Amino acid sequence: MENKISFTIDGTPVEATHGESILQVARKNGIYIPTMCYISKTTPCASCRMCVVEAEGVEGFVLSCNTPPTPGIEIRTNSQELELERTNIMKLYDVNHPLECGVCDKSGECDLQNKTLEFNIATQNFSAREQARKIEDWGLINYDPSLCIMCEKCVHVCNEVIGDDAIEVKFGGYKSTIIPKDADTLDCTFCGECIAVCPVGALVSSDFKYSANAWELSRVPATCAHCSAGCPLEYETRHTGINGEESIYRVKNDFEYTSLCGAGRFGFDFDVQAEKNEMTLQKAVNAIKHAEAIRFSSLITNEEAHILSLIKEKYGVKLFNEDARKYQAFMKAYSSVSGKLHHSATLDAVKQSDALIVVGSRVSTDNPGLRYALTSAAKHNGAKIVYAHPMEDALMQNTITQFMKYEVGTEEGVIALLAATLLKDADLSDAEKAFFDDLDFGYLDAETNIGEEELSQMMRAFKRTQKHTFVVGADILSHPKAENIAKLAAMIEKYSDFALLVVPSEVNTLGVSLLCELDEDKSDAKCVGYNADGDFIISSYIKGADLIVPALNQQEGTFVSIDNRVLPTNVALGFNGYTLNDIASSLGITKENTIEYTKELSPQAGFRAIAFDDLENFVSPMGEDVRGYLLDEVLCEADGNLDTISELPEYNGVVIYHSNPVLQFNSYTNKAKQLEKDRSLRGSAQFAAAARITDGDLIEISFGERKIQRVFSLDNALKGTVALNPTFDDTFDASRYRYEKSKIMRVVHE
Amino acid sequence: MNNEQFNDRNVSENGYYLVDIQDYPTTGWDKFTRVVRRTLRGELFVGLWVVLREMIRFDIHTVKYPEEKMPIGPRYRAVHEMKRLWESDAERCIGCGLCEKICISNCIRMDTKIDANSRKEVTEYSINLGRCIFCGYCAEVCPELAITHGGEYENASDQREHFILYEDMLTPLDKMKAGTQLEFEGFGAITPHEDERVKKTPLAY
Repeated sequence: MENKISFTIDGTPVEATHGESILQVARKNGIYIPTMCYISKTTPCASCRMCVVEAEGVEGFVLSCNTPPTPGIEIRTNSQELELERTNIMKLYDVNHPLECGVCDKSGECDLQNKTLEFNIATQNFSAREQARKIEDWGLINYDPSLCIMCEKCVHVCNEVIGDDAIEVKFGGYKSTIIPKDADTLDCTFCGECIAVCPVGALVSSDFKYSANAWELSRVPATCAHCSAGCPLEYETRHTGINGEESIYRVKNDFEYTSLCGAGRFGFDFDVQAEKNEMTLQKAVNAIKHAEAIRFSSLITNEEAHILSLIKEKYGVKLFNEDARKYQAFMKAYSSVSGKLHHSATLDAVKQSDALIVVGSRVSTDNPGLRYALTSAAKHNGAKIVYAHPMEDALMQNTITQFMKYEVGTEEGVIALLAATLLKDADLSDAEKAFFDDLDFGYLDAETNIGEEELSQMMRAFKRTQKHTFVVGADILSHPKAENIAKLAAMIEKYSDFALLVVPSEVNTLGVSLLCELDEDKSDAKCVGYNADGDFIISSYIKGADLIVPALNQQEGTFVSIDNRVLPTNVALGFNGYTLNDIASSLGITKENTIEYTKELSPQAGFRAIAFDDLENFVSPMGEDVRGYLLDEVLCEADGNLDTISELPEYNGVVIYHSNPVLQFNSYTNKAKQLEKDRSLRGSAQFAAAARITDGDLIEISFGERKIQRVFSLDNALKGTVALNPTFDDTFDASRYRYEKSKIMRVVHE
Repeated sequence: MNNEQFNDRNVSENGYYLVDIQDYPTTGWDKFTRVVRRTLRGELFVGLWVVLREMIRFDIHTVKYPEEKMPIGPRYRAVHEMKRLWESDAERCIGCGLCEKICISNCIRMDTKIDANSRKEVTEYSINLGRCIFCGYCAEVCPELAITHGGEYENASDQREHFILYEDMLTPLDKMKAGTQLEFEGFGAITPHEDERVKKTPLAY
């Protein structure tokens, strides 16, 4: 451990690692320095100046939040002068702050209130002319400038962690406010992170506003059920009305270290309710007994997946889940080269990286957790991010350093080119060398549309970078040549210093793929659907399901996130009907509670025999993620060989890309009251011209064997000839490649 | 305050003296003589005479409840009232929820929402008088002097659960217009000379 800086705070000897500020060291050692604007996950805002300390030999005060210690320096955090300085700051904060604590949504969870009491500010000694300030309605977010204390946390988080960069400070002394950047109203992805970090009640959720007090809400720690990032969140529940049932009022997160996207924050009301009815249960049991297969989605917990495996074992039914099967196949191919079961990187590793390559994912909507990690890496480590995708992503524009646009369908060629570039000097085996020697670079360059110049630009940018991560997105999982791509990705991980991250497509795709032996979906089989289509449907979200089971916020169990972390989630709302465990019990697979299966999850896949109740579910005060546990690494045989790349497919004509709009992921988000549900096909002007449609047209899109009707909407942020087709309203077939050659017909009204 | 005098338990020095209590009779004869002595003393007839005298005079001192009722002290804690503002007749309750929080018998429940003017509005409010112990905490904690106790103590009901709603407690507008809303003077209410104790905020710009 070189680079340690020893110094003292209040006489206590402490040590700092390079890059740490005095405040960070103090916090680590349990020494209290008051702050108003400091937030751990961003660079210091340094707007409050509360964190001042005295340093021996330095005249005046030092801001501890953005000052690194020098060796041997003596820091004092407490003296009369400091106390006076801080008290004066607090007095200024309180000037004309509206005395509406009684109705304010913070209801006591207020930093300003806490500090005012801490510094014993009982009167206002300064005066300023109060100004008429209007409460701004920004859609899901409300902003009350008179409550705002201009700590700038929201601006920093929006810019440095989320990457929307949608708000800014309008400077004007006492008149300063937060305003939408370059717009009249807020136009952002509505992650609501600004609400979370706001220390006062200035930024609030407009849906929650004035509906409940913080102390009435019971907090249920859980894991977000919308994407594979597995963000920690707390559902806050309370009775509705004065006599009503419990319901979720809002979602909060530990904003100091973790972030949450808008789907997690605002899309919480997807719970269902049902009553117990013996007859229906019996029907479900019979349906499973007589079915050839159970088709299910990945919106289930590990325990449910395990129960389905047990049902398969006992009754010999097949299990269909194309989404997880594709992932499984991909990872199997990956393992055959890498010799281990799990990909090596985590979102945290992404955050720490300074060189990243992202291939095959529309990150901002596929996995916001990954997007925030990339933003963090770019803003805090100056990471060089190469983003390879057939479509430009306006939301990632300010984050990425190089956009590599490749042709739809040529992912295999892209990864081969990247692998060839990254592994130029690697110590490869003869067979592997031969593979790269055989590559027809001219053909690949031409077909993928990625030139040698782009690759060398990337390598130049990566010079002198230290932590590297390679991210493979969900586009590739369903690619016809996914297995070969997986092997190439594994090669990159094996022979270069790039860690690999594979983005699972759904909440628990990863868990399901580890726990279930899946069969290829045959649509003509007699089939029970579990959260999926079938002859008998058991579901928490499909309309007209034969048996209703609890939604993911009404269940306890575990998910496996993109980090290979087993994350516990808890029951936010009760459910009176049957669960999968009840059905399994009637089928002779008996356990009293679903979570008793947690410790039985397969150790061959890396799960540990830890009981559900022994799993922790929090992020420590120092930012250490202690939720659940990381899957153990499992070694397996590395006997895979690369296939030669024969021909890259061509996607000409009208192509649609299955990709959701922001804040939409699945049937759960589709049910959420607050989330916008844009079901239109979004395309550029170029696409409209090619497909001969105009904005607002009702169109029929046919691809594969499906036909769906959508409204076309022209999106000026998009470019190129690929249009985005949302899948959250359940039009997606996970067995198919995410890009589809399709036919678009205008529907003519009679 | 000084508690010394109360803490001093030295009986002999503070003017305390022991009462002369006769021993209880033990034998049957002693018991018999005590009964005879007490019976023939004639005290019983003194009481009987007083009652007879007043009955003849028709000078009756009992209150003929429910036709007659005793006046209730202004600090009496009976069924709650919701007050209005003198200035505007608007409801004082801001929906802060402190009464619901502090209620030790958990009998208050309320629901709020944002109204058309972006203010917090109480949509539902109920007190279960069957559970209420009339401790007065709600009135004490109320920052707006909105919920107070009133003098209405007759809340008999044919079932144990007995709810009173916001509308029932709110001062009627006609009463307000007539200026007859009574302020509660009990604990938590404004004390006399409160004006002199208010700390002023410098707003003289």
